[in-house]
Amino acid sequence: MKFQCRALGAALLVMVGGTVSAWAGERFDLDDPNDAIKVLQKQICSLNEGEPVLHWWQGSMMSRREGERDRKLFAVQGMNMRACKNFDDPERGHGFRSVGREVMLYLDPETNEVLKTWENPWTGEVVDVIHVANDPVNMGRPLHAIAEDGTPYSFRGTFMKGRVISGGATPLFYKNPLGGAYQDYIGGTYHAMEMGSTNMYEDELMDSSIPAAYRKTISWSRVSEWLPWMKMGDRGGVVFFATVGKRAAEIDDLPEPLRTEIRTNYTTYLTPPPLDDDRSNMTSWVSTKQAIDAARAADGNESGGE
Amino acid sequence: MKAYLRVAVFGAIAAGFTLTAAARDTLDPGDPDEAMLISNKLFCDNEEGKPSLYWWKGTMYSRIPGEKDRHLFDVHGMNIRACKKFEDPVKGIGFRSVSREAMFYIDPETGEVINEWENPWTGEVVEVVHVANDPVNARRANWSRDEDGNGRINFDRYTIQDGIAMSGGGAARLFYENPLSGDYQDYVGHKYHATEFLTMAFPWEDAIDASKTAIQDAVISWGRISGWMPWMKMRSREGLVVFYTHGMRLHDWSELPDVIRNEIETNYPVYMSPPPLDDDRPNDTSWTVFKRYVDEKRAREAAESEGAE
Repeated sequence: MKFQCRALGAALLVMVGGTVSAWAGERFDLDDPNDAIKVLQKQICSLNEGEPVLHWWQGSMMSRREGERDRKLFAVQGMNMRACKNFDDPERGHGFRSVGREVMLYLDPETNEVLKTWENPWTGEVVDVIHVANDPVNMGRPLHAIAEDGTPYSFRGTFMKGRVISGGATPLFYKNPLGGAYQDYIGGTYHAMEMGSTNMYEDELMDSSIPAAYRKTISWSRVSEWLPWMKMGDRGGVVFFATVGKRAAEIDDLPEPLRTEIRTNYTTYLTPPPLDDDRSNMTSWVSTKQAIDAARAADGNESGGE
Repeated sequence: MKAYLRVAVFGAIAAGFTLTAAARDTLDPGDPDEAMLISNKLFCDNEEGKPSLYWWKGTMYSRIPGEKDRHLFDVHGMNIRACKKFEDPVKGIGFRSVSREAMFYIDPETGEVINEWENPWTGEVVEVVHVANDPVNARRANWSRDEDGNGRINFDRYTIQDGIAMSGGGAARLFYENPLSGDYQDYVGHKYHATEFLTMAFPWEDAIDASKTAIQDAVISWGRISGWMPWMKMRSREGLVVFYTHGMRLHDWSELPDVIRNEIETNYPVYMSPPPLDDDRPNDTSWTVFKRYVDEKRAREAAESEGAE
């Protein structure tokens, strides 16, 4: 049993969040878009501008190919470090924009060790594992109570039994950064679906005196094509992730080996990006392209030197 | 916390399994029999025969190479379960669950349960066969101890942080003989091929609270990836379906959202309660239910055409 337990639980978390009075604040009114957008902000990050917000998740990545039982290829552990900047617009009301960094590690499914290389069981090739290390993962623009087209924001969540659960599935289908200029003709478009679920408590989420939904658990899944570094080429099949996790107070709360790995090899990810970060977003496909291009350039330099 | 566990395990050995949890406020996860009482609270109720109700809702998408995934249906599902309790001088405490499970396909536009669907790839209008599995039972009791009296239940799969216990991140990878396929599946394919993944979170203090026979404050997510549902009549066309849902345990029937509660009360009333505790029927799956549906429909049509001649 992995007891990473702080016995005080929620009470302590409220103090960590910087509020001790708690639980007695005015209730947000979801019919008021200025309140509704703050409820979303509490779910995603914190009403306290710049407060670092940490989430982690763990689970596994599996393959699905026609004609064989799905295989558990990797255990995975991931984390996201995020913060929000607040905005106030005379026309569009309250707004926020999140900036974040994200890591997800591929681990040996038996030993839980961080993998450097992996022997592809279908091709026999030993490939370098490229872990997810996306910096930044930012919202492009702030989300306001009133959208640019004038639509008031409404919070989507299921309120039942004192719980609030939200989430769903998002299908993605767009130009693959690793694909060529003729993807509509010969294929290779990026094709995935992201799925997530967030579980919160209504008393905490709807209390305007508490800056964030700290008592929050998550699950995350994704179905996509092979990861590029697996070098599966056009072979049929998909990969999917199944994970569970939660919001946590500090890096010490991360599961091992993720905790040590972040402290040792991903120290930038200990803090969120600056609130005014305007770099373009990183995705696993873009970072893989950069890694391949860098490796090719190095090879090119070597052969050029001959 | 680890120190507490070791002490607790020692205490439990000294006391033996006859110690009733009622003597203390908390159940001890280090004691095999009390661990079983904790474990059985998750999806069932330690009070024999008391119904446990879980509900979930979400989406079903198609995935076909070369096109964006399509949102075919919303879904609402539920499982109603009860457990029979056993005691044995060697094997300790055992529970066997019996349950019924239903999940309905819902038009994403109207929010209504639908019974006919126009397949966008074939153009054919097909009858929607909802999931209605009766029963979904444990074959036999799950015991706290093995034949030698050693504990069988542990909570290694759970991560506990800030008082919240979480499980999930794995998957049941299913690959077996398809009841709808023929006798040569290893040769020509069409085996049943699916994966289901479940996550769960609940307050650990509710799990070990000896005064609670069930964990009410439990939230779940459930997903499934499989080939086409048979009633879609996709034949061998390439593609998958992906379910993703979330939900929670409910206190009772009245808490179910209207769309699923009305459908069950009107058309599937037997699903308002679990099967009898001694139910020994073989389990249903969506595929066996579908086979029965097709076989009955074919028999009916055959009888009708004979009658017409």
